[in-house]
Amino acid sequence: MNFSFSDDQILLRNSVRAALDEQCKPAHVRAMFDDPKGYSDHLWGEMAKLGWLGLPFPEEQGGAGLGLVELALVLEEMGRAAYPGPFFATVVLGGLGLTLGGSAAQKDKWLSAIASGTVRATAALLEEHLDWDPAATAATAAKSGSGWALSGLKRFVPWAHAADVVLVPARSPEGLSLFLVDPKSAGVTLTPMVGIDLGSRWSEMRLDKVAVGADAILGQPGTAGPVVESLLRRAAVMSSAEMLGAARRCLDMSVEYAKVREQFGQPIGSFQAIRHRCAEMLLEVENAHAAVYYAAWALTAGAEDAAVAASICKSYVNEAARKVCGDSIQVHGGIGFTWEYDLHLYMKRAKALEPLYGDTEYHRELITRHVTSSR
Amino acid sequence: MDLNYTPEDIAFRKQVRTWLEQNLPKTEIRNLEDRRAWHRKLFDAGYLGMGWPKEYGGGGARPMEQAVVADEMARVNAPSPTNSLGLGIAGPTIVVHGTDAQKRRYLKKILSAEELWCQLYSEPNAGSDLAALRTSAVDQGDHFVVNGQKIWTSAGAIADWGLLLARTDTKVAKHKGISCFLMNMRQPGVDVRPLKQITGSSEFSEVFMTNARVEKSDQIGKLGEGWAIAQTTLGYERGGRALARVTNYASQHSRLVEAARRMRRHGKPLIEDPLVRQKLGRIWAEIEVERYQALRTLTLLERGEHPGAGGSLTKLSYSELEKRFMELALEILGPYGQLTEGAPKEFQLEIDTAVGERGSWAYAYLWSRAGTIYAGSSEIQKNVIGERILGLPKETRADRVGGKA
Repeated sequence: MNFSFSDDQILLRNSVRAALDEQCKPAHVRAMFDDPKGYSDHLWGEMAKLGWLGLPFPEEQGGAGLGLVELALVLEEMGRAAYPGPFFATVVLGGLGLTLGGSAAQKDKWLSAIASGTVRATAALLEEHLDWDPAATAATAAKSGSGWALSGLKRFVPWAHAADVVLVPARSPEGLSLFLVDPKSAGVTLTPMVGIDLGSRWSEMRLDKVAVGADAILGQPGTAGPVVESLLRRAAVMSSAEMLGAARRCLDMSVEYAKVREQFGQPIGSFQAIRHRCAEMLLEVENAHAAVYYAAWALTAGAEDAAVAASICKSYVNEAARKVCGDSIQVHGGIGFTWEYDLHLYMKRAKALEPLYGDTEYHRELITRHVTSSR
Repeated sequence: MDLNYTPEDIAFRKQVRTWLEQNLPKTEIRNLEDRRAWHRKLFDAGYLGMGWPKEYGGGGARPMEQAVVADEMARVNAPSPTNSLGLGIAGPTIVVHGTDAQKRRYLKKILSAEELWCQLYSEPNAGSDLAALRTSAVDQGDHFVVNGQKIWTSAGAIADWGLLLARTDTKVAKHKGISCFLMNMRQPGVDVRPLKQITGSSEFSEVFMTNARVEKSDQIGKLGEGWAIAQTTLGYERGGRALARVTNYASQHSRLVEAARRMRRHGKPLIEDPLVRQKLGRIWAEIEVERYQALRTLTLLERGEHPGAGGSLTKLSYSELEKRFMELALEILGPYGQLTEGAPKEFQLEIDTAVGERGSWAYAYLWSRAGTIYAGSSEIQKNVIGERILGLPKETRADRVGGKA
């Protein structure tokens, strides 16, 4: 039993941090707010060169063959930098989705292209009713010639406008199935959804009898339920890692500020009211760290409690990040409420991720199902 | 990162489980003598003082082995040993700071529960501000004479010996004039009066010392070093109990789930109520996060590192969690939660309370209020975390003005 990072993992984290400190400064994050695409091709190319885009894929598909602990380390750093771009959408939603459900041919085609930086991907997991249970999927896939015709409404599809391929769950006559859709196909309408975190982009994706070929389905028709559930678990834990990074940044900034900002002739950090708040924030960050890396390890190792660990992780980190990021603004006072100060970049990232990939209530219900069925 | 247990740890766990199956007391423990007998059995099996040096009766075991024993005991609701202050505080203090003669004289008798111990730290005016203690120890040449009062003394009523902090110099800064002693509780100048708590029971006592005697050979460390000694050994054994504590919570949680299955509201089992399900899911997540943290602490201990101020995070985390857990349990159980007697049979699901005794939810709830006060209140832990981990500036405090502390 060893709950600590290996030297290689620490090396990876340090190199990701150094690269993002250099290339993803707050000025870059802010510049992307006004950019029509919302991310930098240059940084994307760098990430491909550094091997981040293929990190969790098998080596035979151009990946590094690493696990979710390593991917979580990268995403934590991205949360810490409020990285704007389709990394999560491409590597976690698209890439891990293909890894979990794709055929050998599909993986060969797409994963190496993702790893090399030539293809961006995403997945459309949420619909009009905002229910994370894949069983609630209402989009349909009708047989059409040798392929399929997809119809339905998807919401909060991350970085769909930048994607070359979207994983779309839809109900075929056999049951829930998963399809690969080119968002530039006829019948696809993308409408931007703009939230408080301008470093994240989403679209509403309307599919009106979108024609896809016979090779666009992942696995056999009607078998996608478990794949989507597995993908959702991974997305829950990886988004938690990003939220952890954002929360950690908020804590670090708060502590630094509390050491230098003076009121009543004293640094505010010397007041118990501020010190105790910072101590509580650290406790939440440390607990969130344990939740994220335990779940990431459990999913990679196929541990017995992997599924419930993912739900524990997301439900816990949702609340921890809410507290830490919210408290960071309180510790900063008025300056923390200004547009010019960087704190809101991280706070907004965490807030945007809180309801995604399973909100707190959804995951708590899954946890209770687990504890009531296993005893 | 590999959170699987090693084959050695799995084999050791199996061995402990088998031993417990064969040796668990078949009848209820009714008095101190029963508990001493059980304690003795645990000691003979090598399951007490596992991390202490072998030459003084310890086992020289790894932290993981200690954690596994505690965890397996919690899993089967085994009665706890007696002498918890001897095993948890006095013994480790003697191991780290005692002379060879003191180690030979006291350690084995702590492990075998031949002599029971208490800790004489807190005073009526020196709780969170422990360094403000006033009990005095005056050098009389061949011995010290002790006068003063201690309070919140766990096991005071049954203790043969006490680990004492007393002031030996009133002329220096308050942290520097304190010394550490081993004091015989069975002497005429020591008067122990049990304190009745909000639970209705008396785990704590007040201790009055009037011209009590402490031998020179029973001084621990140098004069004036008592404060530093207390700092290094407070919570010394916390890591080894971490897994067991979580296992206790887990077993309480499963009893709560069982109660929610049996109770009905609006014609349906309570367990089908979405609000109840949310609460149960939330607290299970918090318990599991505590388990992950226990594994992190064990990783440190296994590498021979001491968590240091990190122990304050652990203490703050579990004591606050326990309070939230018990509040939520009483919420779910409704009016039945606060009953100590007379609950309808189907909800009479006794739980193991924080002190290792079987009891009611109400008792466990009341006990949970103590956890954020004793052994350094949550406020004190937050000060330690803020100053020592986050490096935030110290506040201007009267006892630090003039750079005296």
